[in-house]
Amino acid sequence: MRAGFTLSDRAVGLLFIAPFLAAAIFFMVYPVVEAIRMAFYSYNPLRPDLSTFVGLRNFEFIFADPLFWDSFWQATVWTLLSIVFQTVFGVAIALLLHQALPGIALFRGLLLFPYIVPTVVIALIWRWIFNPEIGVVNYALQSASLIKEPIYWLSTPSMAMASTILLNVWKYTPFVVICVLARLQTVPLELYDAAKVDGAGVVRRFLDVTLPQLKEVLIVVIVFRTIWTFNKFEEIYLLTKGGPGTSTFNLAVYSFEQSIANLRLGVGAATGVVMMVMLSIGSIIYLRVSGFGQDEKSP
Amino acid sequence: MTRIEFWTLTRRLASYAVLSAVTFIVCFPLVWALSTSLKPKSEIFATPPTLIPHAATTENYKALLTGRPQYFQSGGQQVTSGTTPAQFFTRWFVNSVIVTLGSTLISITISTLAAYSLTRFRYWGRTVVPYFSLLGYMVPSIIFVFPLFLVMVQLNLTDSLLSLVLGYVCITLPFCMWLMWAFMRSIPIEIEEAALIDGASRLQVFRQVVLPTALPGIIAAAIFSMIVSWNDYLFGRVFLNSLDNLTLTVGVMLFFEGTHVDWGLLMAASVLMTVPMAILFMALQRHLVAGFGAGAVKG
Amino acid sequence: MTTRRIREPSELQIGRRQVLTGMAAAGVTASTGLGSAFAQSTRTGVVRVWGEPGPYGGVAVAAMNEWAQKNAPGLKFEIESIPWDGVYVKLMTDLAARRPPSLISVESPIAMQLMAEGLLTPVDDLVEKIGRNRLVDGVKWEYWGAWKGQQFIIPAHHQPHLLLVRMDIAKELGLSDPDTWDWNDLLNAAKTISQKKPDMAGFCMALGRNLCTDYHFSALLHSAGGKMFDAANKFEVAFDSPQTVEALTFVKELQAYMPKGAVEYSFLQVVDAHVTGRTAMSFYWGRTLGRAAEEAKPIFEATEAFNHARHPTTKRRSNWNDFQGWCIPAQNNPFVDEVKQALIYQQTSKDWLIKYCHSLMPNVAPTYRDVADAPELRDHAFYKSKPRTVDTYFKTSLAHSSSTANELLQGVNPLAGIVHGRSVLAQTVQKVVIDNMKPQDAAKWGAKELSDIRRENMRLLG
Repeated sequence: MRAGFTLSDRAVGLLFIAPFLAAAIFFMVYPVVEAIRMAFYSYNPLRPDLSTFVGLRNFEFIFADPLFWDSFWQATVWTLLSIVFQTVFGVAIALLLHQALPGIALFRGLLLFPYIVPTVVIALIWRWIFNPEIGVVNYALQSASLIKEPIYWLSTPSMAMASTILLNVWKYTPFVVICVLARLQTVPLELYDAAKVDGAGVVRRFLDVTLPQLKEVLIVVIVFRTIWTFNKFEEIYLLTKGGPGTSTFNLAVYSFEQSIANLRLGVGAATGVVMMVMLSIGSIIYLRVSGFGQDEKSP
Repeated sequence: MTRIEFWTLTRRLASYAVLSAVTFIVCFPLVWALSTSLKPKSEIFATPPTLIPHAATTENYKALLTGRPQYFQSGGQQVTSGTTPAQFFTRWFVNSVIVTLGSTLISITISTLAAYSLTRFRYWGRTVVPYFSLLGYMVPSIIFVFPLFLVMVQLNLTDSLLSLVLGYVCITLPFCMWLMWAFMRSIPIEIEEAALIDGASRLQVFRQVVLPTALPGIIAAAIFSMIVSWNDYLFGRVFLNSLDNLTLTVGVMLFFEGTHVDWGLLMAASVLMTVPMAILFMALQRHLVAGFGAGAVKG
Repeated sequence: MTTRRIREPSELQIGRRQVLTGMAAAGVTASTGLGSAFAQSTRTGVVRVWGEPGPYGGVAVAAMNEWAQKNAPGLKFEIESIPWDGVYVKLMTDLAARRPPSLISVESPIAMQLMAEGLLTPVDDLVEKIGRNRLVDGVKWEYWGAWKGQQFIIPAHHQPHLLLVRMDIAKELGLSDPDTWDWNDLLNAAKTISQKKPDMAGFCMALGRNLCTDYHFSALLHSAGGKMFDAANKFEVAFDSPQTVEALTFVKELQAYMPKGAVEYSFLQVVDAHVTGRTAMSFYWGRTLGRAAEEAKPIFEATEAFNHARHPTTKRRSNWNDFQGWCIPAQNNPFVDEVKQALIYQQTSKDWLIKYCHSLMPNVAPTYRDVADAPELRDHAFYKSKPRTVDTYFKTSLAHSSSTANELLQGVNPLAGIVHGRSVLAQTVQKVVIDNMKPQDAAKWGAKELSDIRRENMRLLG
């Protein structure tokens, strides 16, 4: 450069990656390593001076704790149902939006909007509109004579689970829509024309043309959303705090409660380690189906 | 009218009808929140509930924006009862803006530099970093939060906005890194090579050729980062302590957890904290679809 | 670090201090000049104070700011209200973050946990200045928190939950005087109301997984003569008992007449249910009346509070009393001296203490005789319209006081805070009311959780 100082290419490359490496080591690697280390310690946050190494005792504790397994199965139910609904609604809405209609941009904007609404806001709105006594949803259902008794949306284990799933579907279906829409835009129109010429109806065209084209993106999105949904904390904690009883606990809420309410940071961390193991499995599946790594060999 | 035109018209009308119905259901919770926020206390619990307030008022918004205190009677005098959440609303808003912009700026800078380095230079480990980032992206915040919290304690940074900026970098950087990497990879290298042959330095090429081309990716990553930081509750809840330092999500939950829920005020707060994200979203909606297409679904 | 300038000659200081001690001992509470015993502080900053939601924390802090104006003009006391259901998260994160507030107002189980962990500053010096003999009849300093011969907590107020009854409904249905009820009468009253008033629950208490349920259930447990730990026997767990089963069975019987949503109710929803007329009776602190007066005048006028129904055989009418006190964190607290002085100032000012009580009648009861007996305290609309109810909250409830931190007043229990942090009692109740577990099995489950707590925290038992 001007001052006769030129960085070699390699130096520029390393210089550019350096901040990332520093941040990654400090803010990602270290906390994760620390989380794993804590899983082997008894750690009361009020008395860090008493922290002691306990070997596998935290893991023994969680595997012997019925609540851990309840949380695990409840998380599985909540994840599966959320994903099914998100995928079905997501594809349906994406197809609706993938039309050349005047004003479609407005609809698209409104339908994607829930994705950016803060979880705190949604949880509060949910508690307001689904309030059994003063909420507008029960009022509407009652005045339409669809129900006689008010529905206790958050007071019975099954309804509370349904309400959290509803919230999750409402907030994250747009994510599926975004991904599917992005893919739909790349489907060559000729494929449809060919199918039309062959005399295929709307349903056939969807099954024969659209769905195969979406297969890859859907698998990726499903794996992704499964990993995330399984580990969600705020959606559940802010709406039900895991209740009533412990009927909407998942592992994230379990970990949080163990860490803070029970003052067992070690047990919370051990739960985190179990979650990490499970998500690594999910990530491997993701890498396989998404085909990352294969194209590295042929740049 | 020909038959084809007739069918097209019918199909369009049907599409609009379905789209409108879906949009109504999706948007209803937000519309209801807006409606509640504009009602005077007497109308909030009115039966039948009103969608459009009869006596619309901006009282709730005024209370939040001017920080109105509460009073009680003692010995015939009005005495202020000290601090109320409403008094801190504007402060929390500013705090949220600061941490959102701060963490986004850092994440974007680091990830753009790193992505350029990873896709344009050859050195050991460059293929591992994206996978590593992907994994980091999938690790849920609940695992990071306590170890990172203990780091902040060591650094004496707890209860500061800086701790939150760093915390959000930690959760947004992996995705930004990955998205920028996917995006950079898809930018043809030929233009840069041409510029280099013309005698431009690496840094000049980066500034004048790469950055402008990468802008859509940068915008998508920035939107993602801002949404995550603005909406987070968990990190704010754990890292921040004093009222002055809270962010919106943590502070607004204080309105709810008291003994007396002022739904009008709460819904007004919900609306106000959604507005910045809504503006951002409307302005940059297109990029979101394009960018997520590149990142989440792999280009 | 900051420095402190001595503005007054030290002889004068000693002189004033002697006068002060004399004044306090004599129970004189005029507060002028009190602060000058303390060398004026030149430090600046915000002194964080935790209080529960409600205006009284703000009033206490206003008093402290008045002290600061005179004695530490650079300081500003600021109240942070900590929602009950969030208090453990807040405690954990703030103390672990080494950012504790400088002063905490909290109920006795939590205060005693902090005390036993060695996280609080002893305050025996303050007790003398505030007046050791000022306490109202029926309470002792240790109810708020004393440990191994040292006082760690200064009383802020006492605060029982009682039985609130809509007297208009009781009259209409010909129910007897709630003051004479035992458990069976309460149950029958709830049943009668539920049957005759279709839009209204007979009774309401919290059944959610939260602190409120813990506190509501404790009153029934203690009435039955049951307890969690045996303070006389090294805090051995005593929860797996017929008394626990009895209390759980009673809750299950009452549940039939409670609002359906009660299984997720906490503090807020119980108040809501009463104030909106969705229940005729409820367990609650005085706050319900304060809110009803603002929002639902007729319900306020019709509601009276009673000591809890007697247990049929033990004849106990145990309530739950918060015994809310002021604690001063010992570690990472830059303002210990200033806070102590400000606390003395507030605690010796009858005016401010009356304002404190008046800020939410009759939720916070006075702890000092001179305040409780002051004619100014009675100068409040509630005292005029509901003298018996207010007196029940303020005075006669004390004969039936209990709390998990001092079960049946048989000794200070430092494990109670941890029990509530983990919502062990509420979860035991929920096993019965949600999962339909047999009370015997739920009691066993609870006892196991309690023995875990005892085992993990032996260090606190000394």
